[in-house]
Amino acid sequence: MMDLDFLRSLIDIVKDSGLDTVELEHDGTRIKLVKASSVEPRWAVDSSGLPSDTNPPLSREDPVDQMVPSKLEVETQQDSSLVEIKSPMVGTLYSSPSPDTESYVQVGSRVNQGDILCILEAMKLMNELESEASGTIEEICVQNGEPVQYGQVLFLIRPS
Amino acid sequence: MFKKLLVANRGEIALRIIRACQELSVKTVAVYSEPDRESLHVRFADEAVCIGPASPSESYLDVARIIAAAEITGAEAIHPGYGFLAENAEFSEICRRSDIVFIGPSADQIEAMGDKATARETMQRIGVPTVPGSEGLVADLESATGIACDIGFPVMLKASAGGGGKGLRIVENEGELSRLFHTTKAEAKATFGISDVYIEKYVSEIRHVEIQIFGDSHGKVVHLGERDCSTQRRHQKLIEESPAPGMTAKMRGDMGEAAVAAGKGIDYVGAGTVEFLLDEESNFYFIEMNTRIQVEHPVTEVVTGLDLVKEQVRVASGEKLSFPSGEPSLQGHAIEFRINAEDPARNFMPSPGRIKTFQPPGGPGIRLDTHLYAGYEVPPYYDSLLAKLIVSGTNREEAIMRGRHALDSFIIEGVQTSIPFLSQITRDPEFIAGGVSTGFVDEFMKRWVRE
Repeated sequence: MMDLDFLRSLIDIVKDSGLDTVELEHDGTRIKLVKASSVEPRWAVDSSGLPSDTNPPLSREDPVDQMVPSKLEVETQQDSSLVEIKSPMVGTLYSSPSPDTESYVQVGSRVNQGDILCILEAMKLMNELESEASGTIEEICVQNGEPVQYGQVLFLIRPS
Repeated sequence: MFKKLLVANRGEIALRIIRACQELSVKTVAVYSEPDRESLHVRFADEAVCIGPASPSESYLDVARIIAAAEITGAEAIHPGYGFLAENAEFSEICRRSDIVFIGPSADQIEAMGDKATARETMQRIGVPTVPGSEGLVADLESATGIACDIGFPVMLKASAGGGGKGLRIVENEGELSRLFHTTKAEAKATFGISDVYIEKYVSEIRHVEIQIFGDSHGKVVHLGERDCSTQRRHQKLIEESPAPGMTAKMRGDMGEAAVAAGKGIDYVGAGTVEFLLDEESNFYFIEMNTRIQVEHPVTEVVTGLDLVKEQVRVASGEKLSFPSGEPSLQGHAIEFRINAEDPARNFMPSPGRIKTFQPPGGPGIRLDTHLYAGYEVPPYYDSLLAKLIVSGTNREEAIMRGRHALDSFIIEGVQTSIPFLSQITRDPEFIAGGVSTGFVDEFMKRWVRE
């Protein structure tokens, strides 16, 4: 994992340079820094409140030597050795077989391929989600009772 | 009025529905497949749920995923748009059973009109004129031959589960009939799941004129005039207009009356379209009824000044129809051009890709319904409709002129489009004269290719 000091130095370097985008990979972690001024909005944000996920462009009047990005986009990618368990359906996630029983898995639990990780419920039908991988649960990304979309990452497993 | 509505569709119609809901202060939920993540309808909706991969059968056609999306977002109603599940009786029924209001007719009504042979029979019973042909389904080759000889060749074999220009076969004589009867049934079974067919007289120089009707849950049914959709290629509409060239008030009255009778006869609620064909003597015959909002609905909206999609939502929430009864008041002339991602020079081969430049036309009498933007990736998995350009003017001449200028100034780069092709049509003397038949496009293409 990148440490904060390293990140701070990196930000300073990008800020003072003429670079717009810097991508770097180190020890399985990838970082991408994008200067806000270089991010073009795809369409203008108008008063209708259309949501925009791009940063508004900096005022072009800012003197170059004082160009401080209002917000740097920092994308970090997860450790690529972890297996992402994604939802194959739309529904509500339940961590345990029933409200008063223990959850199927917890962080640190050892699972084998085919073990049940959770329940995905839709239209009153309960579907058991089986693990595609064997290993240890590294992270549980969705809480009990939360709605999930197709393709949403539910669990991260460190394979072994 | 609903607090939240889920739009079970994509592209321009999903945007259209979201806009109508915004005006009604109804919150919207967009559903999308993975390739549609950057789609405008996803951006404009209040909430969005990814429901599946690219394949329509695992996303926009997947009833379970759509209902699940409505459940997790608390949507009270679902608008199916057109295509996809819009005329799926099972979906309508499942919505009802899940306590979700389906913006459209009941499963029974969808089935009644979805089965084209039954629809024909129903119309005959109500007294709406139908094309001479079989009464309902044709059971075997013997009865088919009997009917065909009765009404006279050429005839059209039509799949009962077809519709929208699909599942049709022209039969020129008795010899062909014995050859093609069983093949057509087998094809129908393979394509639509049901081999049932019926027969209609084939009328070649015909115009396709449809009447927009609207009903509410209090028994009121009105008609909003006609749309002429004769400019078609392979039974797919390219250009639609209202009023229909040459339409008289008397004809409109007669056709409207027949269409309203059709709607009342089945207690129809919501937006519906009754399709007729007009022969050379301006006799009109029922072909089919569509129990959904149609692609070309903006044409009617422009000449009547009414908002059909907003009304769909209102009526579905129980409100009384706000449209006036009696003869509709049509102002001026409107023409819609369907712009597709297709290469007319290469037999209309689909042309998906990334939109590099998008510069739409503007000015008076220009309405554009589209989900495009510069940078948008047109996916290859769905239909090729990019935009609907609806132009209008005080008369047909002005509308055509505006259409020509609008098409010529409409820049879309990155994919091939039918814009140049449509622009040429606006210069064609036959089109300008008006009242072209469904054979026009094929005939125009012979001339166009030669240039």
